[in-house]
Amino acid sequence: MKTETSLKEQKDWLDMPKNDDASHGTARREWMRLAGTASAGALLYLVTGNPKPLYAQSKEGDLGILTAALYLENEAVTAYQAGAESKLLSAGVLKVAVAFQSDHKYHRDGISGVLKSLGVTPSGPEKKYDFGHLRSENDVLRLARDREHGAVQAYATLASNILTRPVLNFGANVLADEVRHLTILNSVLGVPNY
Amino acid sequence: MLNEILKDEKEASKKQFSRRQVLKAGGLSVAAGALATALPVAAEVKYGGDLAILNVALGLEHQAIAAYDAGAKSKLLSADQLKIALSFQTDHKRHRDALIHYIHHFGGTPVDAKASYDFGTITSATDIVKLAQSLEDGAENAYLANAAKLENREILNAAVPILEDEVRHNTVFKQLLGLDVTERLKY
Repeated sequence: MKTETSLKEQKDWLDMPKNDDASHGTARREWMRLAGTASAGALLYLVTGNPKPLYAQSKEGDLGILTAALYLENEAVTAYQAGAESKLLSAGVLKVAVAFQSDHKYHRDGISGVLKSLGVTPSGPEKKYDFGHLRSENDVLRLARDREHGAVQAYATLASNILTRPVLNFGANVLADEVRHLTILNSVLGVPNY
Repeated sequence: MLNEILKDEKEASKKQFSRRQVLKAGGLSVAAGALATALPVAAEVKYGGDLAILNVALGLEHQAIAAYDAGAKSKLLSADQLKIALSFQTDHKRHRDALIHYIHHFGGTPVDAKASYDFGTITSATDIVKLAQSLEDGAENAYLANAAKLENREILNAAVPILEDEVRHNTVFKQLLGLDVTERLKY
């Protein structure tokens, strides 16, 4: 149940200028492009209507999703690094940022491990990311918040396209981490969580 | 709550051991057997395993709705706390309705809410927040433990946003209680 106040607060927050609109949009497009390579399995499911045989089917079907997820995790690790190195964070916020970055490294390493097991060399981070100008703690928090929000949407959207159970199980836990991060960052930024 | 869960588990193992579905919920074992006994055995039932999971989830949603009712009626919550509680209860009602929809859709019989729940003694707002947090934590863990077991993609798609809500609720309450919100679950 959203009250008028909370909706207004949310709208006000969303209307505020963001320092990284352009790069965020690029990341989302890149994610969707990469994830698109996994659509063959999903399409087959839609055509046959029977997910059961597909569920245990070739792990290759998950490659596109894993590759896209790795892209997001690499970006998140780099974003938190940029935040930590900005010297803009207070001790308490820095501690949380380091913990969240550690989660993203855990996700990255887990995804990389699966890719390796499939004979694919996992990609590292891009040479350069444009996170805009970070001038305050709030800028860093909003950068992190937007990354987490994008990650929640991406994992939630594609979860049901994952074909192998262990990967799905891992993905569900990653999604839970991203929601936890997003909730905390929303709370710190005064964005309503209810 | 723990006593109630353990009691359910004991009864379930006596009555329907072969159908018992156990959810690992953060170190606790949430027994689903007693709830899953409502599952019909009609031939047209599809995705029986999924339906058993959905009925366990539905039992947890009924319990959560009742807990928020108890919290709201206690008059112990501040205006802000009440706002959060009612918002989260609305989420749980939406989950409940979605679960019932899918259980019916695949030929199952949804479990009903219990006539009453034992939430222990509630004497303060903190008691209510602690109760709510423990229920949300159990729900989060239940959905996490079972998401990958679901066979039907439509059902999985419905479960994902529910999981998101449970994690959000749990995190908000952990923050209110001053609990650590930076610790990652083990997986």
